[in-house]
This record gives sequence, structure tokens and C-alpha cells, in this order.
Amino acid sequence: MAGIKKRNILNSMHIQHAQDRENDRTDTGSFPIVRKKPIRQIGGGIVTRLMTSLLIVLLCALLGFGYAIQLNNKTSSYETMSEEELTRLISETSTQVQNLQQRKTELTGQLNSLKASANKQQEAQRIAKENEDTSGILSGRLPAEGKGVIITISQGSKERIDAATMFQLLEELRNAGVEVMALDNVRVVTSTYISDTKKGLECDGEALKTPYKVKAIGDPQNLQNAVNIAGGVGSRFKVKFGADVTVTPSESVDISETRDVGQYQYAKTVE
Amino acid sequence: MAAVLGLIVGVIIGIFVKPDIPIVLQPYLPIMVVAALDALLGAARAYFERSFSDKVFVISFISNVLTATLLVLLGNQLGVGSQLQTAVIVVLGIRIFSNVSAIRRFIFKG
Repeated sequence: MAGIKKRNILNSMHIQHAQDRENDRTDTGSFPIVRKKPIRQIGGGIVTRLMTSLLIVLLCALLGFGYAIQLNNKTSSYETMSEEELTRLISETSTQVQNLQQRKTELTGQLNSLKASANKQQEAQRIAKENEDTSGILSGRLPAEGKGVIITISQGSKERIDAATMFQLLEELRNAGVEVMALDNVRVVTSTYISDTKKGLECDGEALKTPYKVKAIGDPQNLQNAVNIAGGVGSRFKVKFGADVTVTPSESVDISETRDVGQYQYAKTVE
Repeated sequence: MAAVLGLIVGVIIGIFVKPDIPIVLQPYLPIMVVAALDALLGAARAYFERSFSDKVFVISFISNVLTATLLVLLGNQLGVGSQLQTAVIVVLGIRIFSNVSAIRRFIFKG
């Protein structure tokens, strides 16, 4: 009896232990344990194996194919973009265009102002050059050339030609609008004088020799008239002194006589 | 071996043929390629774990590609196409990274 009872107790203890183990399990069941697949049986048809490996080849080829054509596909990227992307792109582009346009306008303005200033400078340089030429000719510093007349006055047969009449000739020519004059070898400028000496006429310290030769640049017709006018200086030469006066108009009177610019003691250039 | 062979053949065909892909398919092709790449790397990992099954590979390849495409299609229809595309790329990228690290561990452990 006692033995049987003991065995019963032992048995129930075993059962209890088993139950406890079951209850104490910590596996939640949320993560089912997936068993490894049993090793496949060898065989199963060689045709199916061949087919599956062919399928693998095909799929991998598709993958490679897709990869390669995606690599080459660069041309039509805009076609796949969504509307928003395109809108963004277009607004970005137009902003950029605006910026560039603005920049262009700025640069064009700069270019124009630079051009204008360069032109101004050039113009100033040209005017300065012109002024230099003009004043050079006026002051007798530069040789001159142009149409005009050449007047030859021979020695007077009645009387020696005096300085006053020669001066009158120069004045008449000046009134007629002569631009450059030379008397024999002397360039006639504003400070030129003519004086009588015992030997003859003297101009700016140089003795003049007969026949006197006056080269004048100006309108040939006016100059001719000024000399040959009735009762004018030309007839005075002829009547009073008995000298021959010939006025030869020329298309190209070359006056190479120059004079040095004097040193001014009191006058100063205005800057 | 078959996979490598197939890859090479596919790339060569793609380089020399240069077909015009239809515009409808264009946004999905890159996603398809990434999904397929993920499947391929998963297969490589399984191969190293000695649990590779060609049937599983083929099915996972196709389902990966299909899922990715459908997801992007859905996103395009909902108006969140580019975002969902990014999401798919991110997830696939993470998977590719974990697969690659598993493969690396197998290779360098011996």
C-alpha cells in the first residue's frame, strides 16, 4: 500500500514538474522558430534543375540588361520627371536667366561708359593735335603747304622800294585772308617788321634781295585781287617805283621757312 | 555560376543593343534594378549559409521586383511617387548592406 502511494506521489510530482516546465517557458510565440529545411533529396528530375538554373540565368540577364540600359538612358530624363520637379526646374532656370540678363545689362553699361570715355579721350587728343597744328602754323613753328600765290617784285627802276609799301603789301594780303606768308627767306608772323636800311630792305634782321619774292597761302583769287586791284598796292609799286609785279597763282605753295618759338619772359600759358 | 554568367550576358546585350525603353517604364526601371540586386545578394548570402534554394531565389527575385514596382506605382498614383521611391531605395539599400555584411562575415570567417 505504502509503496503504491509513494509511486503515485512520485508520478504526480513528475507530472507537476512537466507542467511547471511548460508554464515556465519564456518563448512568446511571437517569433516562430523556422526550422531549417531538410536537406533536399538528390534527384527530383534533372530537367527541373536545368530549368531552374536557366531561369536564374534569365533573371540575372534581365538584371544586367536593365542595369546597362539604365546606364545608357540619359537623353530623356525630363520625360520621367513629375510636374512639380519640372516646375521647380523651370523656375530655377528662369531665375538664372534673369540673373544672367541683369549681369549682361550691367556689363553692357560698363562697356558703353568705357567706350564713351575712350571716345572722349580720343576726341580730346584729336582736338589737342589740331590746336597744336593750328598754333604751330600761326606761330610759324611748322612748315605749311597749300594753294595760294607767289608774288615777285623786281627792283624799282625809278626809286628803291621802301619798307612802308612792302608793309602795305603784307597788310593787303592779310586783309585778303592770307593764312601763311613768307617774304624771301623769312616767315612772316605777327611780330615781323620791315625796315629801310642803306643797302635795302631788311626783314626781321635779314637783308632782303631783289627781286623780292612773297609766298602766300590763301584763296588765290582773293590774294590776286588784293594786289592787282586798281589803285591798290600793285599799281603803287608800278607807278611810284617802276617795279614789275607778277602774281602767279599756284595750287601748291610750299612754305618751308620756319621760325623758333621765342622765349616769353612775362607771358605764361593758361592751364 | 549561372547567376554570374547571366549577369555578364545581360550587361553585354544591354550595352550593344541599346533599346528604347518605353516612357511608362522609365521611372520604374532603376527601382527594379535595385530590387533585383537585393534579391541577388540575398541569394548569395543564402548560398554561403548553405540554404540556397533556386526555387526560393526565383520567387524572391520576381516578387521583389514586382513589389518594388507596384509600390512606386502606388506612390505615383497617390502623388508621393518620389518620396516612396526614396523610401523603397532606402529599405532596399539597408537590406543590401546587411546582406553584404553577412556575406563578408561568411567569407572572412573561413
